[in-house]
Amino acid sequence: MRVADQQIFGQVVSQFQQISQKTLEAQLQASTGKRVSKPSDDPVAFGRIVLDQTDLAQTNQWLRNIDSGTTRLASADNALGQVDTILSRIKELAVSARSDTNTANDRNLIAKEVRELHRELIQLSNTEINGQRIFAGTKTDTDPFVLGSNDTVTYAGNSETQSIAVGRNQSLQVTVPGDQIFTGATTNVFDSVKNLLAALESNNGSGIETGIGTLDQAITQVAAARGQVGALDNRLTTTQAALQGTVQLVQTSLSKDQDIDLAEAITNLTRQQTALQAAASSANALFDNSLLKFLKT
Amino acid sequence: MSGISNLFNIGTSSLFAFQESLSVTAHNIANVNTKGYSKQDVILSETLPLNGRPGQIGTGVEVKTIKRNVDLFVNSQILSSKQQLGKNGASQNALSNIESLFDDSKNQSLGTGLNDFFNAIQDVSTDPSNVTARSVLLSKAQTLTDRFHQADTTLTAQRQSLDQEVDHSITTINSLAKQIADLNDKISQAELSGQNANDLRDQRQQVVNSLGEQINVATVEDGTGQLSVFVGSGQSLVEKNRVHTLSGVANSSNSGLLDVDYNGGGTPVSISSVISGGRLKGLLDARDTTIPATLTKLDALASNLVSEVNTQHKLGYGLDGSTGLNFFTSSGVTAKSILVSLTDGKKVAASDSAAGVPGNNVNALALGNLQHKSITALGSVTLNTYYQTTVSDVGSAAQQASQDLEAQQNLQDQLDAQWSQISGVSLDEELVHMLTFQRAFEASSKVVVMADELMQTILTLKR
Repeated sequence: MRVADQQIFGQVVSQFQQISQKTLEAQLQASTGKRVSKPSDDPVAFGRIVLDQTDLAQTNQWLRNIDSGTTRLASADNALGQVDTILSRIKELAVSARSDTNTANDRNLIAKEVRELHRELIQLSNTEINGQRIFAGTKTDTDPFVLGSNDTVTYAGNSETQSIAVGRNQSLQVTVPGDQIFTGATTNVFDSVKNLLAALESNNGSGIETGIGTLDQAITQVAAARGQVGALDNRLTTTQAALQGTVQLVQTSLSKDQDIDLAEAITNLTRQQTALQAAASSANALFDNSLLKFLKT
Repeated sequence: MSGISNLFNIGTSSLFAFQESLSVTAHNIANVNTKGYSKQDVILSETLPLNGRPGQIGTGVEVKTIKRNVDLFVNSQILSSKQQLGKNGASQNALSNIESLFDDSKNQSLGTGLNDFFNAIQDVSTDPSNVTARSVLLSKAQTLTDRFHQADTTLTAQRQSLDQEVDHSITTINSLAKQIADLNDKISQAELSGQNANDLRDQRQQVVNSLGEQINVATVEDGTGQLSVFVGSGQSLVEKNRVHTLSGVANSSNSGLLDVDYNGGGTPVSISSVISGGRLKGLLDARDTTIPATLTKLDALASNLVSEVNTQHKLGYGLDGSTGLNFFTSSGVTAKSILVSLTDGKKVAASDSAAGVPGNNVNALALGNLQHKSITALGSVTLNTYYQTTVSDVGSAAQQASQDLEAQQNLQDQLDAQWSQISGVSLDEELVHMLTFQRAFEASSKVVVMADELMQTILTLKR
């Protein structure tokens, strides 16, 4: 086989180019830590990466939704805890007022404190986060519990619940409307306090007795509502844990498609560099062997 | 009868022959780095002998011909490889430009835009009365439409730049055709007078190869050494020393992009569709097939996004009680024309019942769920999956183009090596030839000296 000089040069150049290109690719992979940075690097993996990134964005959004739901439920739980304390305090006062040793004046004094507590209840039932009333159903822009004349409280909210997205076509309830807690269900919390107030002020012993009975019902109802809030929160927490698991899985899968094994990348880079050096020294030897070197005239 | 003068003649003939051989060797060495130069060989032959006794006696040497070392088969393979190489190179270049549009590494892609848009809808759903979340949704929607516009602009700009390359390629083809015609002329004139137009033929082969890089080419050489060149589906580009030009003509039914017209005398005809190789083929494919296909997919994505979102959005109610409103502008939606119609965040229809229930998020949840809806018009896949398929398609095509180019380049390298084995100059070989001819030249001059001495001897006989 004849070997022409252009062939030698051409081959050396093309080898250098090939090795240089591979070295550059290896360097890019080692420096970015990414195996796939454009679709053509690995179309199948890139497709998975796009979908995984969508999954990741969605799942993180669901986790974000859950955070906002948890905040709402936590403040509902907190408010209902205080409602419970206040109702218990009212009951305590009512029990102490029940005894007929109390004078009309004594009962009037107790009534004053109960009225204060009644107002506090209203405040709690109008608890808001960022200006949104949490016990108003979906009518969140105005106070759901409005104080009228004669200690009457009316519900201005609605019975709708609010849900948040926590998964593919999956949503969880994050509010309990106020009518279920305070005015609806079995007993009207505000009415029971109002009736007690009237009994206290009119010095009506049997009325106080009845009041204590309905107060017990009210306490049970609020406790039930609090339980519901807890259950909702629980579901959010469970879902959150599952979603966090998903995030990890997706991240693992993303990393598998996208990231390189650094050890492998660096080994590869070193290999290419060695190849480049070998090509350089062998080219040197090749050019050194010309007949010209021996023709000294 | 052979006399001393014959010795002089023999010596002179060999001095001339070896001097000429040395010239050819020098010419070979001089062109060791000339692209496409084929090594030339001197073919020596005995001159006509003289009749004599006891028989014919030789009269020396002459240069019979100077031959260029070529293998027509390898040359024709190189020409066809060049056509493929030109096409693959143009395709690969165009596709790698297109795929950079979908590069997700900077989170600037359409896919990210889609995700952000649907996440913003969910933010509205978790806090439907929050005006800020609604404004954010509108701005994310705006960003998403910007991404669509940007994709459209980029792809359209790429079509334009490919079009300029088409124009450039046409100009190159015409200029190469002219060169071939000129060389045809020179070669036929030289060979008519019995010369070997070695160097001119090398040059012409180079030009034909360059032409092959631009467009598919077929060649036929006639008896006078002139090359007829055909392009496309057999349109004659060069005929002896005549050239028929190609020209780029704006095609109004293809966004004013250039058609390749052939001017063969009479009405120019478009040969865009029959070009089957070379850069032009790669450019036309990318410009008229690959990019429009990608654009069509992006248009489908935009129009389905708009129709799905609008349909659901119209069912709901805004914070201000507005209903039946389009979220995006609805008619004739393409990636280029997609626009957000809402300007007031309060009008985002998150609620499924009329005014007064700012906490109602039922419609916002439904809007958010559109991200997971299989859309029949997109082949029963979700918006995200459709986008992913589009990206994967471009990625596969780009990968394929790169691999094709690499394979073709390898083939070309092999052909170049084959060509070099036959036609390339080896300096070592030339040096050996040079020594051989030099020694022969020295010996020949000794023959002349010897003949002179013989003559001297004869002349002194008289004294």
